[in-house]
Amino acid sequence: MTRVIRLSVNGTAHEVDVPTYRTLLDCLRNDLGLTGSKEGCGVGVCGACTVLVDGKMISSCIALAVFADGHEVTTVEGLAEDERLHPVQQAFVDAGGFQCGICTPGQVVSAKALLDENPHPSDDEIREWMAGNLCRCTGYYKILESIRTAADRSRA
Amino acid sequence: MAHRIVGQPIARLDGIDKVSGAARYSADVTLPRLCWGKALRSPLPHARIVRIDTSKARALDGVLAVLTAQDLPDLLVGRRMFDMPVLARDRVRFIGERVAVVAAVDPDVAEGALGLIDVEYEDLPAVFDLSDAIEAGAPVVHDNPGAYEGAPAERPHPNVQSVLRFKLGDVEAGFREADRVFEHTFTTQLAHQGYLEPHAGVVALDEGGRVQVWASNKMPFRLKELLALALRLPPERIRVNLTPIGGDFGGKGSIMDLPLAYHLARATGRPVKMVMRYTEELMAGNPRHPSIVTFRTGVTKDGRIVARRVKALFNSGAYAAFKPAPSVNLGGTSMGAGVYRIPNLFIEGMCVYTNSIPCGHARSPGEPQVVFAGESHMDMIAREIGLDPAEFRRRNLLVDGDHLANGHHLEHVRAAETLEAALKASHWDEPKPGPWIGRGVAMTHRHIGVGFTNARVRLTEKGHVILMTALPDTGTGAPLVLRQIVAEVLGLSLDEVEIELANTDDFETDSGVGGSRVTHTGGRAAYHAAETLKEQIDAEAKKLGIPVTSLAGVAQAVAREGRTLEASHFYDAKSHAAVTSFTAQVAEVAVDPQTGQVTVRRFTTAHDVGTIINPIGHQGQIEGGLIQGLGYALMEEMQTEDGRISTVSLGDVKLPTILDIPPLTTVLLHDPVGPGPFNAKAIGEGSISAVAPAIANAVADACGARIRDLPITAEKVYAALREPRS
Repeated sequence: MTRVIRLSVNGTAHEVDVPTYRTLLDCLRNDLGLTGSKEGCGVGVCGACTVLVDGKMISSCIALAVFADGHEVTTVEGLAEDERLHPVQQAFVDAGGFQCGICTPGQVVSAKALLDENPHPSDDEIREWMAGNLCRCTGYYKILESIRTAADRSRA
Repeated sequence: MAHRIVGQPIARLDGIDKVSGAARYSADVTLPRLCWGKALRSPLPHARIVRIDTSKARALDGVLAVLTAQDLPDLLVGRRMFDMPVLARDRVRFIGERVAVVAAVDPDVAEGALGLIDVEYEDLPAVFDLSDAIEAGAPVVHDNPGAYEGAPAERPHPNVQSVLRFKLGDVEAGFREADRVFEHTFTTQLAHQGYLEPHAGVVALDEGGRVQVWASNKMPFRLKELLALALRLPPERIRVNLTPIGGDFGGKGSIMDLPLAYHLARATGRPVKMVMRYTEELMAGNPRHPSIVTFRTGVTKDGRIVARRVKALFNSGAYAAFKPAPSVNLGGTSMGAGVYRIPNLFIEGMCVYTNSIPCGHARSPGEPQVVFAGESHMDMIAREIGLDPAEFRRRNLLVDGDHLANGHHLEHVRAAETLEAALKASHWDEPKPGPWIGRGVAMTHRHIGVGFTNARVRLTEKGHVILMTALPDTGTGAPLVLRQIVAEVLGLSLDEVEIELANTDDFETDSGVGGSRVTHTGGRAAYHAAETLKEQIDAEAKKLGIPVTSLAGVAQAVAREGRTLEASHFYDAKSHAAVTSFTAQVAEVAVDPQTGQVTVRRFTTAHDVGTIINPIGHQGQIEGGLIQGLGYALMEEMQTEDGRISTVSLGDVKLPTILDIPPLTTVLLHDPVGPGPFNAKAIGEGSISAVAPAIANAVADACGARIRDLPITAEKVYAALREPRS
């Protein structure tokens, strides 16, 4: 069974005919060609597929595409404005908050959501918020530093 | 010597693609008419395949092809020992082994079709336990393993894959000199590398009859050779195209599903993408070997080690195919000697077949297992003979001119300095801040990797230099390191050096990424190529009578003559340098007496390093390896039950999260003498192996519980705290 859904992704309206069982992640990656969001664990624990739906973080690998019908989705591809990296993205580059980069799209989307809600989080608040984004390369120290850097720069 | 660019904390320039979602990994590659492959896997650990009926799957709408072993050439694959079928032919040997494969228009249809394939099996007796597998009369996993290509000759039991030994002196005579002899046995768990990108690959047959491959594989040239064997094709028909790799940690060096993708591409006439689900990674990736390791050490009254015997048994699972070393064993076994001068030494490592997931290489293969055992054993001896664990180590450390277990001699040994630095930074001699708090120290060392790597540099008319490399980007930041080296040599800014990624058509061969080699071999290749180019530029400038600093001027002048200045270097390091890299780590832990929960309060890691080319990347390697070591020590485990992995979700494996990282102090001992460019050494595998024993030793110090089985879970500590003390 398929269903036609209408959703806005990074500000662009899309109409997609999807099987009802298709995940939002597969819809973004395979139907819309937005491969920035990654599938890691496939069960909603690693955070590599994190996107925002109406500004709220979700794991798109365990959300069905049909649930996004009528909603606004923001993916990693939608964070930069006019080719300028989002301050969170820039901080991840500057502070070495990534290595292989496979978890990075999810990390920066989650970090953006954090700073939207709490522009100056404490380290504990950063850790609490980011606990759902696994990274196997960095050991997290530089991810913490990246988010701190982004928060500090917004204060300046 | 001061450098302009080498040693600067330069941010990763490839980072923009990675933080913006633009970087295209293998799973992101798309081509016109692409279809998807999925493998059906065995639900039984050991069984004969009686019959496979694929008719219902073939009839499903959207299915393009269904293949079984009958449709494939009858051959075996592997990295060094060729013992694994591409699809099981008449027998399955582990739960998760590939039995059939489907191509369909989308991944969901392909997965649906798998459920329609009907396989009839006939159970065979299976063996799972490492010790049971080498008993007389154990079920035999392979009927005649000695006949496999690449199989080592020695086989004390039909289930033994390989035996690796290291000897120094006369171990029996050594034990006769000992005043006391101690023996302890340790066990370690099955552990996935934990890269978040499951194996992915795309295979397309192009119009010129060539096989185009995009794969999450860190050794593209070896991949080409291995695929040529697996597909019975001349190597030149295959082209491996480089993509970023979403984490490797030793696990991304095999052909994995690529032969299946090729056969499906042939059967369908369309490009085929195969991406493993993470559940498949956990059932059938190539994780770190579980082990049983026994250390027996003889010491004199004054705390000197005079003899040691180490026996390491590794559960290799159903196939040896994932191990790349000619020994078909784990080189880390040699770390049974630790960082100590042991005049009389005998180490034996044995890899054993069982009906379990086949194991492979994981960051510093074999070392976390053996170093956990050896460094726990050192502490247990120290306590028995009444010495401070640091002092017992001090009395036995390697010194200049000593030999490692593999006979390799060492110079510029910095074991003592590294230990003292870690002790000082961790306040080892100060009183502990409270009850149920303990400190533990552990040490290791890691060689500087060897291999063979290419670099080609070319001067553009703009006066920029393009560096061509065939090293895939596994995430370490190696491309940036290479750019820094070339910019340094040629007096350019970093922006004036660009990277051009090669594919396997561009060079003859290259050993790729692995074994802590890239900064050394890739760096030296880039260094020497840049030096040669510099000589050419200088000569041309002199001839033209223009300043050597005017690279654009030189480039334009030679361009007018129809020439380009270009230099290549193939750097081949065949044997290890006489220097190594020492690590000393101190954990301070708190144990909750009510629950047994261990909290790492502080962690100190000290490393003797060479010239650091990029401090951000260098520190990133230390931190990443260390937290992998912490996960291995405290939480990560793939649990099995009769050959079935019961933790088939990444959530169940429990990789560390950002909540698990302890406050960290890093100490770097700068005294650069290394074989790498500008006296660089290696760091990629230096921080992982000593973490677990440092924590185990701290737990014992905190509460008296000696945990000999990884991971050190709260349950184990809780049980140990309630054991009656002898």
